[in-house]
Amino acid sequence: MLDLFSNLGLGFQVVFQFVQWAPSWLGGYSIPIPVNILLCLIGALVGTLVGVLPGIGTIATVSMLLPITFGLPPVGALIMLAGIYYGAQYGGSTTSILVNIPGEATSVVTTLDGHQMAKQGRAGPALAIAAIGSFFAGCIATVLIAVLGAPLTKLALAFGPAEYFSLMVLGLIFAVVLAKGSVLKAIAMIAFGILLSMVGSDIETGASRMAFNVPELADGLGFATVAMGVFGFAEIIRNLDVGAEMSRDLVQQKITGLMPTRKDLIDSAPAIGRGTVLGSILGILPGGGAVIASFASYTLEKKVAKDPKRFGRGAIEGVAGPESANNAAAQTSFIPLLTLGIPPNAVMALMVGAMTIHGIVPGPQVMQKQPDLVWGMIASMWIGNLMLIIINLPLVGIWVRLLRVPYRLMFPSIVVFCAIGIYSVNNAPMDVVLAGLFGLVGYWLIKHDFEPAPMLLGMVLGPLMEENLRRALLISRGDWSVFATRPLSAALLFVALVLLTLAVLPTLRKKRDEVFVESEG
Amino acid sequence: MSETVGHSPDRAISGTAHSISGPIAVLVLAVAPQLFHFLTALGFAILGMATKNPLQVLADHIVAFGTALRWLGWAITFLPDLIPAAVQALFSWQSNLLTPVFAKIGGAPPDTWLALIYSYPLLIIAALSFVLKPRCTQDYYGGIALVALALFALWASSDLQGMHGFSFGAGTAPRMFATILLLLGAAVALIGLVTDGPDTATYHWRGPVFVVLAIISFAITIRPLGLVFSAFASFMIAALGTAETKWLETVIVCVCLTAFCCVLFPYGLGLPMPLWPRFLNW
Repeated sequence: MLDLFSNLGLGFQVVFQFVQWAPSWLGGYSIPIPVNILLCLIGALVGTLVGVLPGIGTIATVSMLLPITFGLPPVGALIMLAGIYYGAQYGGSTTSILVNIPGEATSVVTTLDGHQMAKQGRAGPALAIAAIGSFFAGCIATVLIAVLGAPLTKLALAFGPAEYFSLMVLGLIFAVVLAKGSVLKAIAMIAFGILLSMVGSDIETGASRMAFNVPELADGLGFATVAMGVFGFAEIIRNLDVGAEMSRDLVQQKITGLMPTRKDLIDSAPAIGRGTVLGSILGILPGGGAVIASFASYTLEKKVAKDPKRFGRGAIEGVAGPESANNAAAQTSFIPLLTLGIPPNAVMALMVGAMTIHGIVPGPQVMQKQPDLVWGMIASMWIGNLMLIIINLPLVGIWVRLLRVPYRLMFPSIVVFCAIGIYSVNNAPMDVVLAGLFGLVGYWLIKHDFEPAPMLLGMVLGPLMEENLRRALLISRGDWSVFATRPLSAALLFVALVLLTLAVLPTLRKKRDEVFVESEG
Repeated sequence: MSETVGHSPDRAISGTAHSISGPIAVLVLAVAPQLFHFLTALGFAILGMATKNPLQVLADHIVAFGTALRWLGWAITFLPDLIPAAVQALFSWQSNLLTPVFAKIGGAPPDTWLALIYSYPLLIIAALSFVLKPRCTQDYYGGIALVALALFALWASSDLQGMHGFSFGAGTAPRMFATILLLLGAAVALIGLVTDGPDTATYHWRGPVFVVLAIISFAITIRPLGLVFSAFASFMIAALGTAETKWLETVIVCVCLTAFCCVLFPYGLGLPMPLWPRFLNW
């Protein structure tokens, strides 16, 4: 327990770090600047700014903004990224409520009641309760990370290569089971992603694999490049399609009365609590917990409500529950990343990419060797959530105005920004071309109803999986049964198998589809 | 985990039951690497860069198709032995059964392997697609494309070393996952063949073409011409991607955005990139 406080203390110390700024024109005086708080603030602000743009989800936002963090020191960069992440998530909720366009899957359910509330002129309370719920969930989840972080790290030390491989298989299966759409197609996407990750030099032998003597491919496909192409550019291209024209059902009334009434608060308090618990649990599970958490929370709220008919007509619980749940899940999904070094979803995968660029390999060692980094980031999550409340409520008016900018002007700007962003990662024009090509690949995937997110996850986990697979087989002298005879590994694989079977069974699949269909009704 | 649940892709309601464009697309896909090779050689030749003669490239590929066909005919007589041997060879390259085969074709040029591993299987699939009537073209062609990708990856990793005793060679894992993708893609295609589902959504050419052109033009011009020119140009090209564009307004926004980028990226974020064309050298 004492450990916990000292760790969190260390974290806040890092966050509240002041740097003395002494420009020459001040003549010897220096001004203390809270650099990390400022970075968190800027991150949250920019994240919301991009996340608010309709049709650009969290993954696209984070991948677009990755390059701007590269010039910073590692701690600052990660804190800024966390800010961007929360900002992007909150931006998604804002568009859900105001324009009925969910920025991302996790805020789909928010549209149901949130947009109805906005139509009734209660956009202010809806946005406020989303922020308050997120903040509360964020606080609880932050503590949870701090509590669970250390013990899980110890568990991670008991993991050998075979266990790591099995855990990653489990994580990927989770991602498939919890995602929308066909299980088979999602697994195929994972295999595609793993295959993409193998382009470039082999880690052990250094042999060039599938690079066709193209020097730019020798280092492998950049993660940010693929993410930007498949999520950023593909979205833009798809939005341009005739017929996919977005119905801009913008709330035209002036938003008055930001603060929720006392009744609103009393109504939504239990929903926030339930959402937080649900979200925290589901978020720890590897594989897109945030999406399922928001759906599950909405379903739960509807079940426990005295009058379920209010849902879909502007019930504040329908905003409070899911928003708390998805934020709690988004936050607790840092746990597998920080302790085991395994990204549980695509956004976390991007975080891994960012960490690797800064020379940090996420995993149990980071917690011990760079405690200031880990705890600083955990503390900054809390700060990030606080920032969202402070900056976003007054800025709602600006976001609404931004939404009125016509898409014909918006999309070329996004294209240019993205192109500059990718170019700046390595100063490599080839990266920009590759991102464009992957934009076409992403467009094709959308047209054939393949989910790009499992592909991205496969691409990040690919090198880790291959490495651990090779090592496990080398230790066992080529004996494949090692995955079934080591108890921990066998248990993980068994759970994966059970999950997969359950997902394929027709009755359960129907249930799973129902959860998603509800959102579209 | 879909990022865009808001607006699902428009499903084209194609009245005709049997469309010809799908099989033709597979046909083109089957020879796409060869075409790409030829076109890049042609492009380089036109730009005056030292490269292989494009006609020579074309001729090589045609010869490769012929050689591959000869092998196929020859291999069919060995078929009962060949299938287990091929499975073994996929991961190890150490099959005793295949030794005579490798002795004959081991040193063959990669072009021949490309025709053998990638093009011929896809040509067969294309031929089948003309005859079959898939009930869910979206999944059927989606699966076939994944199969094509897997075959291509198998070819691309075919020159890499396989199992080395207990330890994986460089090529083992790529071939393993390519095989998995092959099976999964085939399963998706088969399910699309026999179960009902949505048809392939219509593709629109205008958006993709101009957006990708804008991206590529940025990539080409950023080094020699600098940020001011390339940001402006790629904004204008991208703006061509929709019919809604109003030009006066677009130009004004474009100028503002270019100015903003030129302040933000080199000065605000301190990223090293040239602002003006290299030959001006201010």
